[in-house]
Amino acid sequence: MHELSLMKSLMRKVDEVADREGAGRVLGVKVWLGALSHFSPSHFEEHFVQAATGTRAEGARLDCVLSDDIGHPHAQDVLIESVLVDRDGQG
Amino acid sequence: MSEAREIKVDYLARVEGEGGMTVKVRDGKVEDVQVRIYEPPRFFEAFLRGRKYIEASDITARICGICPVAYQMSAVHAMEQAFGVTVGGQLRELRRLLYCGEWIESHVLHVYMLHAPDFLGYQDAISLARDHRAVVEQGLRLKKIGNEIVTTLAGREIHPINVRVGGFYRVPLREDFAKLRKELDWALDAAVKTVDFVAGLPFPDFEPQHEYVALLHPEEYPFNEGDIASTAGLRIKKDDFLEHFEELHVRHSNALHGRIKARGPYFVGPQARYNLNRDRLSPIAREAADRAGLGARCDNPFKSIVVRAVETVEACAEAIRILDAYERPDRPFVDYEIKAGVGHGCTEAPRGILYHRYEVDEKGDIVSARIIPPTAQNLPAIEADLRHFVTEHIDLDQENLTWKCEQAIRNYDPCISCATHFLKLEIDGD
Repeated sequence: MHELSLMKSLMRKVDEVADREGAGRVLGVKVWLGALSHFSPSHFEEHFVQAATGTRAEGARLDCVLSDDIGHPHAQDVLIESVLVDRDGQG
Repeated sequence: MSEAREIKVDYLARVEGEGGMTVKVRDGKVEDVQVRIYEPPRFFEAFLRGRKYIEASDITARICGICPVAYQMSAVHAMEQAFGVTVGGQLRELRRLLYCGEWIESHVLHVYMLHAPDFLGYQDAISLARDHRAVVEQGLRLKKIGNEIVTTLAGREIHPINVRVGGFYRVPLREDFAKLRKELDWALDAAVKTVDFVAGLPFPDFEPQHEYVALLHPEEYPFNEGDIASTAGLRIKKDDFLEHFEELHVRHSNALHGRIKARGPYFVGPQARYNLNRDRLSPIAREAADRAGLGARCDNPFKSIVVRAVETVEACAEAIRILDAYERPDRPFVDYEIKAGVGHGCTEAPRGILYHRYEVDEKGDIVSARIIPPTAQNLPAIEADLRHFVTEHIDLDQENLTWKCEQAIRNYDPCISCATHFLKLEIDGD
């Protein structure tokens, strides 16, 4: 139930980063999935592809790292580690 | 020239609240208030189709982690009506006991953890605990006793597993309840003190008038049985629910909106139960209500915290009465014959009446299911109340108005209650 809301927050951040960098497109997103985040990489990717459709992140490569550390302080969370943007000649 | 660049972010993606509120203002006056529920539809009614009748109570229990017992009770009562079987005696008493546990769990959670911090000027129960540790500890212990009732009787406190059509899978021995029975003496006393405590909170003058709807039983404060009655004189059998009530889809919400076909919005929940069943409360609960100044009828939604506390007293007193007279039934469930039919269940979830209707075929497979939860029934009335409330506070700045609206929404203990700390208030207009 909470995936849609989480994806919304994630895509907003990706968009903010792309805006700041003057990017035309987002080429890739690297995320870290906490051991208790209730996501598997394939499950996360399904939601990501859906959320990115029609945005400048459509078609972006997704790299997911699934943590197995249930004692990690962010074990329940999802962390965006980096965003790969195409600055489209504006840099 | 195109250039790819990797930007380090380290951003924690957060789950946002599933609720939002839009206020439309024109010429300084509130024109419309909409409570939006983003929580996507879950299609429980669709995936019940084709399942066995015996699965309905356990599947629907997953709808809510706070009130799974309500879903189980409405489901089994509906199936029992379809099969023409009645559950009486100690099994009926145990079902009331289970509901006592759920009301204690749910009401105490709301009173202590969600609602009281608002009145005392704290963001949440954690900050409340810094200054009022004993109060929060009392709430936690009381809630735990509610959990223990559900665990002892039904296997576990969240999504219990022991309820079935005809009764239970297993019934506890009298000695299984021994420790719990002792704890309940403390719980009853703590619940009475809770009423006295919340009665002293500062309440704004705000008394919207609603038609309240609750179960009405000839002798009991209602849990599982009774006619459906209203303060405007409605009195019907649960079988006729859909003739008098309807749900409408509105553009701004994923939750359907309930209304009485003939009149419009109505209200279910603790205030509705109290306003219709006050004289059926146990003497100790009624005395607590009198001391708190609740009177014959409570219209102020901010005072719903007092009504929840009174109902917690009722649940503790009722649990003690049931346990003191408990004799383990010989069999954990009564026999019945599976046959094709239609059954209706309407029971009092902590947040108000929860209606189920099932049609089953001759093999006991579910042909159709309909579930109408209390929060959906209340949404139009909540929006109407908030329109009045925002009008009175429209001069506040955005931050303060958002805080006031979060508080006001929590009065109704909606199932999105936890999410309303993240309420996104949009003011549209001049």
